[in-house]
Amino acid sequence: MRQRLAPRRRSPRIRFLSPSVRRRRAGYLFCLPGMTFLALFLAYPLFYNVWTSVHDVELGQLLGGAERFNGLENYRAVLDDPAFWHSVRLSLIFTLGSLLLQFAIGFALALLFARPFPLGGLLRSLLMVAWLLPPVVSGTLFRWLLDAESGAYNALLTGVGLGALSHDWLTDPSTSMAGVIFANVWVGVPFNMLLLLVGLHTIDPELHEAAAVDGASAWQRFRHITLPLMRPVSVTVLLLGLVYTFKVFDIIFVMTGGGPVDATRVLPLYVYEVFFTFFRFGQGAAAGLLLLVVPLLAGVFYVRRLRREDEAPAGGAV
Amino acid sequence: MPYPVDRRGFLRTAGAAAAALGLGSAVTSCGSGEPSTVTLTWWDYFTLDNFQPGMNRLIKDIEAGVPDVKIERRTFPFAELDRQIALAAISGELPDIAIVDNVAMNTLGGNDLLADLTDRVERWGEADQYYKGPWDGCQIGGKTLGIPNNSNCLALYCNTGMLKSAGVEPPTTWDELASAAQRLTSGDRYGLALSAIRTEEGVFQFLPFLWQAGGDLDTFTTYGATALSFLDDLIAKGSLSEQCVGWTQQDVNTRFLNQRAALQINGPWQIPTLKQADFDWNVVALPRDKEAATCLGGENWVVMASSEHQDKAWEVLEYTQRPSVLVPYLVAFGELPARKDLADQGTWASDPALRLFLSQLPLARPRQYGPRYTEASQAVAEAEQAVLTGSASPSAAARTAAAKIDKALGRQ
Repeated sequence: MRQRLAPRRRSPRIRFLSPSVRRRRAGYLFCLPGMTFLALFLAYPLFYNVWTSVHDVELGQLLGGAERFNGLENYRAVLDDPAFWHSVRLSLIFTLGSLLLQFAIGFALALLFARPFPLGGLLRSLLMVAWLLPPVVSGTLFRWLLDAESGAYNALLTGVGLGALSHDWLTDPSTSMAGVIFANVWVGVPFNMLLLLVGLHTIDPELHEAAAVDGASAWQRFRHITLPLMRPVSVTVLLLGLVYTFKVFDIIFVMTGGGPVDATRVLPLYVYEVFFTFFRFGQGAAAGLLLLVVPLLAGVFYVRRLRREDEAPAGGAV
Repeated sequence: MPYPVDRRGFLRTAGAAAAALGLGSAVTSCGSGEPSTVTLTWWDYFTLDNFQPGMNRLIKDIEAGVPDVKIERRTFPFAELDRQIALAAISGELPDIAIVDNVAMNTLGGNDLLADLTDRVERWGEADQYYKGPWDGCQIGGKTLGIPNNSNCLALYCNTGMLKSAGVEPPTTWDELASAAQRLTSGDRYGLALSAIRTEEGVFQFLPFLWQAGGDLDTFTTYGATALSFLDDLIAKGSLSEQCVGWTQQDVNTRFLNQRAALQINGPWQIPTLKQADFDWNVVALPRDKEAATCLGGENWVVMASSEHQDKAWEVLEYTQRPSVLVPYLVAFGELPARKDLADQGTWASDPALRLFLSQLPLARPRQYGPRYTEASQAVAEAEQAVLTGSASPSAAARTAAAKIDKALGRQ
């Protein structure tokens, strides 16, 4: 973390401390509320989770208070469980599918909204609704839209004479993943669009104008000016998306509950099941920590990038 | 009084201890001359509006009829109650009394969360008044850990008009069910509707088929395959919608109510809704194969092992089981008694549909498989979903599930 300068105070009472110590002390003092909050609500639960993950904790032992230390036994049990690896695979499919689609669509929409046009602002705001809706609401909405019998999606297809394309999206194990990705992309697009739009606005329009004067086509300008200059923003958007998408739980839980069979039981749902359906708290804690690995790596990468961007001159391509 | 201990003194001490530990004042002393009142916390999952008058009346009844007791009730959604109890076990804030789904006895009883009521029940001496299935469902490891409050089971609802116009008799065997369902299927109407959702609800509906085939969870490879392929055939012939893998029992009832299913498997709790239907329907026993069987549903009263007021809680439980209290409560809830001696009282004595369900209670089996049942249950649900969505053959799905079941239930 970078040192923030505390305001200099000229207090005669604490002159016996050197100015630099005083400054540092004030700095720590200012950090205290935040640190307390982090310790209480982040470090403590995390530590408790780590503790649980190396103990044999199940429902029956909670009352007796006889949790036994069992080392890495819980981790071994989780890593030996084929259902865990299946859920890891599903999580990767879900995350990559969602990320690529919402990024591509978000980028396209950002390019659209980058130029002012009548009602553009209104449309852009309306798009944000998708992002503002609670996931439980979006999940319920898509569950209904994709319902095989009474769903609007199939009704629409049948209505325009494409009944052959109608499908039981969520009750067919081979397409239910596509269904939840579809819903999650809808939720994620506005967020991607907004960040990318901000990125587009930082590109100096003179660059485009100069290129146009030199005879560059629209595609060439996009390919050689917009894309390279958008790289830092894009990486940020994708990393944030990765962290956010990897731990999506609610929308899938509402739409399919992880089914049919286990076709959409991504890692967060697996952890939930181990915890709250099977009450294997030790293994659940271990699986939960393993779930943290991917977002944590992405997070570290993101923070490092952020720092590098801070150091590099603004707008500079990396 | 059964105990020579000075109750007031004991309660005062317990109260002081609770307060000293910062657990709040669970016990309140009401002045020097008056008897102390015990506040019992009570959890259940009856959240719907139509349950509240009956529940409020019961609580008023208890507070009037059981000396020195106050009830503090908290409700949770159906699917949340078990989870909340598990979480409360972590934080140590369990209630004194709970009304839990009978299948929760596996998790709660198997993990020593429930108070042992064996001695109290023995002194009480009314155990033989209960139907065998519900009563057995409260016995875990040789101990009585609960009292059945009300019971239900599954049966087959028939759309009378549809059966008549198709010239079909209500089926009594699997073969008859299969052919009836096929003949009753036409257009967008399915012959049969049932729930195969990926939760305990779907398993509740599937287990009767397994038992009727002559098997159980320990013989799933063989009999699970039989039951699964029976259902698979129904789907293959179009008599049962593949969509049933996403249906709750409520969804199933909606199909039946909208006349998009001629037969449905469901429980007696649907009767009030179905009474408003503008067509005739009737209920018959579930068709049998090698055996006749249905699955036991309903709730049990339990006292938590952590409760400091187990005696008072037991007094409350005993009080609720008096016919003068139980009958009006069950009538208000539209539920069936778990007690044989109440068979000729209340609405179920005259209503033909309720009578049919009551007549099936002796055949109803509890899901009593121990603390790891939820894992076995999920294996069953996934096997059924795999078969009905066409992603596995009945025998392969049964084999996969059997391995998971054996692992969960400790029979390698």
